[in-house]
Amino acid sequence: MGVLGINRRNAVYTLGRNPRHLYPLVDDKLATKRLCREAKIPVPELLGVARTHREAQRLVEQVRAFDSFVVKPARGAMGNGILVLEWREGELYRGPRPFAEADLTYHAAGIVSGLYSLAGHMDVAMVEERLMIHPAFGALVVDGVPDVRVIVYRGVPVMAMMRLPTVESAGRANLHQGAVGTGVDLATGRVIRGIQHDRRITRSPDTNADLGGFEVPQFRSIVDCAIRATEPTGLEYVGADVVVDAEKGPVILELNARPGLAIQLANGAGLRPRLDAVDAWLESGEVDRPRIAERAAFGRGLAADTRP
Amino acid sequence: MSPAVRWTGLLFFAAGVSVAAFKVVRHELPLSPSEEQGPWQVELTVTVRGDGQRGSVRAMLPATEAGQRIFDERASSDRLDWEVQERESGRAGLWSGWLEGVHEVVYRFRVQSRAVDLPLRGAETVVEIPRAIRSLYMKPSTTIPSSAPSVKAQILDLDLPPPSDPVARIQTVFSFATHEIATERSAAGDVLLTLDRREGSPDGKERLLVALFRAAGIPARLCHGLELADGARPVPRVWTEVRLASEWISASSVEGWIGRRPADWIVMGRGTLSAVEASGARAVGHRYRALREHLRADEIASLMAPDDPVLSFLSLYRLPVGSQSLLHLLLLLPVGALITALFRNLIGVRSYGTFMPALIALALRDLTPAVGLALVGGVLAIGVSARFGLERLRLLMVPRLSILLCIVVLCVTAIALTSASIGSRDWLAGAAMPIVILTMWIERITITIEEEGIREAGVRVMWSLVIAAAILPVYQSTQISYLMFTFPEFVLSIVGGLVWIGGYTGFRLIELLRFRELGQEGVSR
Repeated sequence: MGVLGINRRNAVYTLGRNPRHLYPLVDDKLATKRLCREAKIPVPELLGVARTHREAQRLVEQVRAFDSFVVKPARGAMGNGILVLEWREGELYRGPRPFAEADLTYHAAGIVSGLYSLAGHMDVAMVEERLMIHPAFGALVVDGVPDVRVIVYRGVPVMAMMRLPTVESAGRANLHQGAVGTGVDLATGRVIRGIQHDRRITRSPDTNADLGGFEVPQFRSIVDCAIRATEPTGLEYVGADVVVDAEKGPVILELNARPGLAIQLANGAGLRPRLDAVDAWLESGEVDRPRIAERAAFGRGLAADTRP
Repeated sequence: MSPAVRWTGLLFFAAGVSVAAFKVVRHELPLSPSEEQGPWQVELTVTVRGDGQRGSVRAMLPATEAGQRIFDERASSDRLDWEVQERESGRAGLWSGWLEGVHEVVYRFRVQSRAVDLPLRGAETVVEIPRAIRSLYMKPSTTIPSSAPSVKAQILDLDLPPPSDPVARIQTVFSFATHEIATERSAAGDVLLTLDRREGSPDGKERLLVALFRAAGIPARLCHGLELADGARPVPRVWTEVRLASEWISASSVEGWIGRRPADWIVMGRGTLSAVEASGARAVGHRYRALREHLRADEIASLMAPDDPVLSFLSLYRLPVGSQSLLHLLLLLPVGALITALFRNLIGVRSYGTFMPALIALALRDLTPAVGLALVGGVLAIGVSARFGLERLRLLMVPRLSILLCIVVLCVTAIALTSASIGSRDWLAGAAMPIVILTMWIERITITIEEEGIREAGVRVMWSLVIAAAILPVYQSTQISYLMFTFPEFVLSIVGGLVWIGGYTGFRLIELLRFRELGQEGVSR
């Protein structure tokens, strides 16, 4: 059935294709941001950083000028520790619950202590601008910002999935928290099908809109952005998370060296034939260092070939 | 699985199996315990401190006699001279020399013991007790004052049956000491005080019994020994031997038995001396350790000194008892790790911490699975509730974790108190509860509940406990413990198995369920 299992992903792709010493580039969101900026790839604006508890206390002053922003751990995993504050009403920010400035400091201090980091080490709290949802998503999403995960293998996009935050996932685009994953046809940018909690769905659980046939706005730029972002990392099997901002267009949210496998369920297709096709293409000698546009085109062809 | 992985795994697996097979074939070692009631290995460690004077340490040594066979005796002497004295009164080991600083001397032996059953029965004819025995075991002494007025008065008061019925005489004296004198660990060990107060220490009570027998004209002597128990320190015991016809009958007024000495009680020596005594020393202390082996004596002998020098060097059976106990435990850990890898990589369950279930199981190995898992579950529940309470105080991480640690320690203390007050077995005997692991576990459960919901946390806790429960019987099995200790080369085989699991790139069982839908579509197309 061509499905990639976790043992194989770990042994062949993450262990085999992603050199361990390059992980910090994607595990640390600040490092990823720096890398993308140097390569002139758009990323969310950085509003503030706290590396120590003292800085965590000053963070409030740094961001007081802004009404909405996102606080996240630089080395967090699976969306843990991310706090989205949407607007300000007097003393309180509106977030998952009303947040006073003291709550914000406490959250940042928790991040600095390493509460959410991958290995429990000291971490850095970063504050980013809150991206604005592209109006095209309004039909599918009530709360939160959807993103598109593109798996890029050896520089070639092989599969894409749009993740829609739901009321259940509390506005977060994480599948295991109840967000909806929808497979996106790399060739057309259209939604193939949707899943929630690994089970197939056809309509948005919040707006009841039909998922099938939804066309992801600026999809070609999204894929292009994803390919370019993985380039400077040196990693060969990466999941790039791209958000389409209402004003800026596609921006890189983060990169992931161990992207999950649910994307296959969302697409109704396995990754293995596509990964094998990329290996065959690059090792056939037909092409020598294909350009980004060629690789994007190959990815579209892959999707068309394995379309159900 | 790549060829390199396949062959590396096979290499390790075969290495372990072939060494074990060689030992089985060549040295005829059984693959399963051949003797559930195998010999005990007992170790006496004496620590003595001196400041440069000449001195000596004397320890009672056990002898082969009815009910016990002593073999494989060894001693280490730590700069002192070592000799064994064989006397009428029993065997003794003597370490002597200049006592300078701290000396640690060790005497170890193996003993095959069985219950001694000499029922209290009337002889056909009254046998005249030899003069030598009468002169040794009927005389009063300072520690056994059988001629003291109060002892004599007590014998008169008991109104003993006539000497023609020695069984009834012994029984009358024995039941007086057993039933009329209370046992109180903290009470006096003096015979006259014990008689006067109707209460004495185990030592005092047995001395009183000996004194009463002697006052009644029946030869009796004090016996020192150890009560051995698997997984626990040996308990020093004192009991009485009373002469009936031509036999010495064992009796314990503390435990209330007469005629039958249990199999796990061994005799270390007789008389009124202590088990270990020192002269010319500033301080002396001693402790016993024991470990039950599950092999026949001849098999142990071939394991301890195989004719092959390499095997002899590698045999774990020649190590000190403490190291052996520890290795029995440590060698089980690879088996636990193997089971963990099976669950995580082949089945694909989500659990907390890589080795956490294996370590939790290690701590619970002296308990039944139900009690053990209930205890861990209880500590986790209390800890997680406390953690949610602490959340409101907004404490920084390290102090907060430290508070959780304190709560876990308090929980474990409460468990100890509860187990003691309901008179259950010692729940904390053996390994200490893995306090730090429990603490970190509580923290991570709390974060999971907050981040991913109580359902996800529940699933992971459940699977962690399932893995622990699957490992627990392995840790408790005599068979597996025996196998790993006698054939430690199986660790290599486990490494081989782990190499295979590590190189397995196929689906995990849970993924088959997860991607089931994609598979069905593939078939239908």
